Amino acid sequence: MPLRRIFAVSSVLFLLVLAISPAKNALRSYRSLQRQYRKLGSSRAHSLKAAQAYTARPVAIQQIWLRDFDNRVDRCTTCHLGVADPLMAGAPRPFDLHPGTPHTPGAFDRFGCTPCHGGQGLATTQGDAHGTSADAGPPMTPPVFIEAGCGRCHLSESVAGAPVLSRGRALIGRAGCYACHAVRGQDTFRSEAPPLATLPVKTGGEWVKRWLKDPKSIDPNATMPNFHLTDQAIDELSHFLFAAEVPKELASRIEAAAAEPPGTPANGKKLVSESRCITCHTIEGKGRGAAPELSKIASTASRGWLLAFLREPQAFNPRTPMPRYHFSETESRDVVAYLEDEFRDFDAPKEILEPLRVNQTLAENGRKLFRLYGCFSCHDPAGSGSEKFGPELDGIGDKRAQSLDFGRRTDLTRTLPAWLAAKLDSPRSFADGLKMPSYGFSADDSRAVITALLALGAQSVPERYRYAPPQKPALLPGGPVGSLIQSYRCLSCHQIGDRGADVSTAPLTFEGSKVKRDWLVDYLMLSYTLRPILEERMPVLKMPREDATQLADALQNFYLDPSIPEDPFAARPVSDADPVEGQRLYVGLGCRGCHILGTSGGYYGPPLTEAGKRLKPGWTYAWLKGPQRWRADVRCPDYGLSDTDALRLTAYLETLRPAASPAKPGSAARGAR
Amino acid sequence: MRFRMPTLALLVFLLVPGACARKPAPAAAKMPAAATMPAATTTPVAATTPVAPPPLRYEVRLGKVTFTHYCQTCHGESGAGDGFNAFNLDPHPRDLSDPEFQKKKSDAELADAIQRGGAGVGLSALMPPWGHTLSAGQIDELVLYLRTLPTLRKPAS
Repeated sequence: MPLRRIFAVSSVLFLLVLAISPAKNALRSYRSLQRQYRKLGSSRAHSLKAAQAYTARPVAIQQIWLRDFDNRVDRCTTCHLGVADPLMAGAPRPFDLHPGTPHTPGAFDRFGCTPCHGGQGLATTQGDAHGTSADAGPPMTPPVFIEAGCGRCHLSESVAGAPVLSRGRALIGRAGCYACHAVRGQDTFRSEAPPLATLPVKTGGEWVKRWLKDPKSIDPNATMPNFHLTDQAIDELSHFLFAAEVPKELASRIEAAAAEPPGTPANGKKLVSESRCITCHTIEGKGRGAAPELSKIASTASRGWLLAFLREPQAFNPRTPMPRYHFSETESRDVVAYLEDEFRDFDAPKEILEPLRVNQTLAENGRKLFRLYGCFSCHDPAGSGSEKFGPELDGIGDKRAQSLDFGRRTDLTRTLPAWLAAKLDSPRSFADGLKMPSYGFSADDSRAVITALLALGAQSVPERYRYAPPQKPALLPGGPVGSLIQSYRCLSCHQIGDRGADVSTAPLTFEGSKVKRDWLVDYLMLSYTLRPILEERMPVLKMPREDATQLADALQNFYLDPSIPEDPFAARPVSDADPVEGQRLYVGLGCRGCHILGTSGGYYGPPLTEAGKRLKPGWTYAWLKGPQRWRADVRCPDYGLSDTDALRLTAYLETLRPAASPAKPGSAARGAR
Repeated sequence: MRFRMPTLALLVFLLVPGACARKPAPAAAKMPAAATMPAATTTPVAATTPVAPPPLRYEVRLGKVTFTHYCQTCHGESGAGDGFNAFNLDPHPRDLSDPEFQKKKSDAELADAIQRGGAGVGLSALMPPWGHTLSAGQIDELVLYLRTLPTLRKPAS
């Protein structure tokens, strides 16, 4: 009897236990979500048939098989049912349509969800899939950092359509992170930080101490971070820096310059404003901010050093982006006299530039600190060996929060982005003895940098999806032309192929097909403002005629684009009517909205008053046929001109000459308006 | 009484696996489900940002990028027709943020004016046609952004 009862009870229990798993499955939230989606879909459907299709949808797990990504499976569409359904635009989460991106809705089948968003594709509960459960895998990338997903495949610094990622990557480069941290593809990175050998004759002990305390307090553009050094460490480091042996040749140059007679500040003022220093430097907040703030430069560097540096900057820092200006002896004296007069820190003590009397014991301690804090990574990379000073950053984007050392920071949420944010904001707050300096990133900058860091994944992206835009070849001749390009630092602003900085709107890659030689020689000798709206304008380098001629000839010979015709009128000779028709087009298309011609016109594009003297007709024609072909982000609209119209407009622009050498149709144009 | 112990043992044996079913761990409980998505807003990064404007949809943001790049110079940051190049233009660009104007124009009309330019729709040629420069998608995004301009208007104006 009891045996029967036991058997009965245990059978019931056994059945109950068997029911646990199906019951759990039946109660999964995705089922009720899918039923809601049926209703939502049928209420939004435009036809009865479509509504029935929604109602007939089976309740089941949906998945995307990612063949190219290690055969991963993404089941996100089990709940996010409307991602590819245009009817679901504006529907509530999780049913809403995925925003249009370069890969959606076209490529859901290939990329699924997790390659961009992260998270656990295989999971079928929200907590596991989004990675918020304690035992789930790596979590999803929070939406503010979503461009990190783009960066997994798109490897170039600037990624079109991902401005935050691009900015983050640029910031990492500019802050010099690669000097200490190894990142794949950045092995050749070299900091622009100056070598420190001439420091004892450049500045004073007091200045060095202030700088080491907080570089940004002296120069808001400083790329050097704050190392939070103690006063004693600052003292020891200063003594070490002043114990450096100054190269004899440079020391004597500085000494000789210091002994020169004073210049005329008034003339210096004129030279400073016409040289367009603010293209790179800032002066009292005005300027691009890529180079040091000059407002207090005379309290930073001695007169002799300023003069010697101005005459040949690259002798003092071979990696400086500063070009060599060909000021005459007197002119450079005038410039420095002006700087000495106006650009000083009037609150600084008089002895700010007085050299430090070196104490050897302190200097010896300083030498150890110089190594301890990794100063050599930026200031003396040759002496540092191949080993990087900091930990490598590859794979940081896939670090599990559990494997991160939060140390004292118990206040942080245990997520990778929060950890990274705190590392950037106050790197020393995690534990004692940490060496990473702080960079003073703004909240926006920090977000951009974190986005770029999260893009450094450990998970492999299939080779065929790793995309870096093809390198455009950069022809950089050697010999005398090469050293001219070097000494005028053309690449600090202009691009040649993929080399150089994208500051100027005029890449030099096809400059020879674009501008006329004689104009170019004149322009190099005395550059003037082509685009008044730009703050970054070509500096007046005071190039001697032989240098200008040599450079112009090289540009005319090397930097050509074969698709720009030498003579666009070869097939269809220009007629007398063409310039007249072209002028009609010029007015009809509204070109004057952006371009100045004579005395009137818009303020946006380059003035066209001298178009015929400056531009080669082949270039004008090629440009008119599609401005965006020459630079993707050009604002000049593509008017979709026919060949004939483009040729007529070219013929008209070709007649536009400066007033000194009038050509008839050009002056007629000015008279008419 | 004799059978009570084995029954109990059996019960316990059977119930234990049921009880072991996964429960959300306490750490997860601390993070409410909703916090997963806007987790970023709770990180220190965003916490320090000043009052953020209401987030725009992705397409609208793309439209804004296009507007800032191509249109702002003449039409102005807020679309009021006060860009720095506007004073060179006669007629001046119109106030795009004017709700009355927006009511009068359909999306298709706005897109058409962008695509074919002023001359194309019988207005000033100083508004160039963008149909060969921007894709149809970009123009649609631009129209979406234009529609948000009246709501972004400063109350003073």
